[in-house]
Amino acid sequence: MDFNFSEEQIQLADAVGRWVEKAYPFERRLEISRNGGFSEEAYQSLAELGLCGLLTSDAYDGMDQGPVEAMVVMEQLGAGLVIEPIAQTWIASALIQAFGSEALKSDWLPSLAGGTQRIAVALNERAGRYRWQVCETHANNDQLTGHKHVVLGGADANAYLVSAMHNGQLALYLVANGAAGLRAEPYATQDGGRAVDLYLKDTPAILVTADGLTAGAAAEAMGIAWLCAEGVGIMERMLAITVDYMNTRQQFGKTIASFQALRHRVADVKMALELARSMSYYATLKLNAVPEERDQAMARAKVQLGQSMRLVGQACIQLHGGIGVTDEVAISHYFKRLTQMEMQCGDTLHHLGRVSDQMQATAGVFA
Amino acid sequence: MDLAFTPEEQTFRETIRDWVTAHLPSDLSTKVHNAQRLHREDMQRWAKILGAKGWLGYSWPTEFGGPGWSAVQKHLFEEECALAGAPRIVPFGPVMVAPVIMTFGNAAQQARFLPGIASGDVWWSQGYSEPGSGSDLASLKTRAERQGDHYIVNGQKTWTTLGQFGDWIFCLVRTDTTGKPQTGISFLLIDMRSPGVTVRPIRLLDGECEVNEVWFDNVQVPAENLIGEENKGWDYAKYLLAHERTNIADVNRAKRELERLKRIAKTEGVYEDVRFRDEIAKLEVEIVALEMMVLRVLSAQTSGKSSLDIAGLLKIRGSEIQQRYAELMMLAAGPSALPYIFDAMEAGWQGDQVAGLSGFPGGNVHNAPLASTYFNMRKTTIYGGSNEVQRNIVAQTVLGS
Repeated sequence: MDFNFSEEQIQLADAVGRWVEKAYPFERRLEISRNGGFSEEAYQSLAELGLCGLLTSDAYDGMDQGPVEAMVVMEQLGAGLVIEPIAQTWIASALIQAFGSEALKSDWLPSLAGGTQRIAVALNERAGRYRWQVCETHANNDQLTGHKHVVLGGADANAYLVSAMHNGQLALYLVANGAAGLRAEPYATQDGGRAVDLYLKDTPAILVTADGLTAGAAAEAMGIAWLCAEGVGIMERMLAITVDYMNTRQQFGKTIASFQALRHRVADVKMALELARSMSYYATLKLNAVPEERDQAMARAKVQLGQSMRLVGQACIQLHGGIGVTDEVAISHYFKRLTQMEMQCGDTLHHLGRVSDQMQATAGVFA
Repeated sequence: MDLAFTPEEQTFRETIRDWVTAHLPSDLSTKVHNAQRLHREDMQRWAKILGAKGWLGYSWPTEFGGPGWSAVQKHLFEEECALAGAPRIVPFGPVMVAPVIMTFGNAAQQARFLPGIASGDVWWSQGYSEPGSGSDLASLKTRAERQGDHYIVNGQKTWTTLGQFGDWIFCLVRTDTTGKPQTGISFLLIDMRSPGVTVRPIRLLDGECEVNEVWFDNVQVPAENLIGEENKGWDYAKYLLAHERTNIADVNRAKRELERLKRIAKTEGVYEDVRFRDEIAKLEVEIVALEMMVLRVLSAQTSGKSSLDIAGLLKIRGSEIQQRYAELMMLAAGPSALPYIFDAMEAGWQGDQVAGLSGFPGGNVHNAPLASTYFNMRKTTIYGGSNEVQRNIVAQTVLGS
């Protein structure tokens, strides 16, 4: 039992932190979100740092790192409010690496790691809300028909990993952008990023795996673990920004940091942050556990994160007062990202239901 | 980073578990698992069993006869004891005053007091709070005046937990009224059988007498009972407060009580009610998050790093969780939590012929203590520095102002 980071992990976090500071200041983030919600230049720059292929095997030009490395990177990207969909790239790469044929791997993994191509994961549909297992899209002779809803980071992707029913089972397919019968309708999202809805009609696709349930569960688990890490990075930065503001802003002749009602809210924010960090560690360290144990951990973690993100987001806006609800300050943009994350990979109530339905007599970190 | 305990730690856990299984009397664990009333003899029986093994002072270093366990080993010991249903170790002797005597006491004091604490023979109490000094502890007024080789102590302490059983009491007393309040306080050990000491139990809202008022009326205390230097008592008290902060979260007990909550909810038929079960699920997530936070503090301690900024959060969160499981157990019983039958909280109660009760109304006597426990648990966010004072401390750390 050890929660210390290795020297290499600290260096990795520092390198990403320095990149954010230098290449991705708030003004840059604002400009990107106002101009389409994705910067090819920023993404290439992240690829040069090796981040796109962080988890990919070195046989496919990746860095061959593990969940803890992913976590420390996501914390830093969260702190910088980086909008480019690195986590999507990791999930897509991991699915292809775990389930894809050799041809798929050599076709896609090196270019995903190099940042020259991107794949977005399209599992959810409108009817199923957060239940990606509910799938009306179907496959017929490797042609897909259906509708995939709010595919985050999917605008201008080179391909999509699309779930579809095949012979009564959930399967996972790869669909190239521009394939016949595919219509991708892009739009902005609340956090300043981009998403697409995909409409498929007899769209040619390549089967990645017939075991879509296993692949989907793995995708969701990764998504949750990295949202948790990103959320911790965001909340930590929001607290720091708020502390600076409170120690500067004067009312009634003194800094607002001196008022006990506000100080107690700061203590509550710190509590929520540290509970979230604890559960982010937990999620990351359970990412490679057997699926049942892993998924229980992810559900618990997302419940804690949901509660923490709501409290921290709302409190930090409130502690800023009127300036907190303007578009010009960073804090409101952090808040919007945090809010969107609640509705990614299942919200608090969705996962509370999972925890509740699967509770055992004994419970704890190790059970 | 690694979540798992080492193989050595796992083996250690097994050893503890086997020993506790073999030595914890089943009548005691039955009482604990069902929150039946524990008496002085119950608590002392377990203390002496641990004492005979050398584990009552389980956090002590080997030089004072302790096992010299690491922070992780101590945690595993606490966890195994809690899950097995062992009575809580009454902390005032082995956990609270002993480290102060070891660190600031002289060799004679160590030789005189530590053996009785280690064996469980001597019951210690804590004399900190006063009627006018709760959260503002440094304002305490109990006076100790030096007269020759004695101190003469006058004043009143209150909220003295289980003080009615106390043999000795460690007190913060005022020895100087000049300067800042914190600088005139001394740490004094007082024999509770001394003439002039009066103990009066205070009945609490649950009907039990868990705390006491203690009066000192010209009590003569030998000067050799002063710990360390005169007027340095505040420093020693702060050292004590900083000691054993992970234990205050009581996450191991929370895990045991979560199991009990689920049992009660199933027995009472509310476990299948999704609205009720979701409340248990929320608590389960809170307990796992608290346990992770405790493990983070242990990891920091093990690697010699400071973890003070999260250690302070443990008291707040742990106390809130204690209150919540007690509340949910009471609500699970619902109407069956309402009968207040004092004797039904005793193990083995079989009804009351005189009062005309054939048994506990509704039949499940395990519901008898649920409301009382809920009432009792209101103390947790008040004692040990109220949670509002804890928030002030956390805010001070975070804001740096």
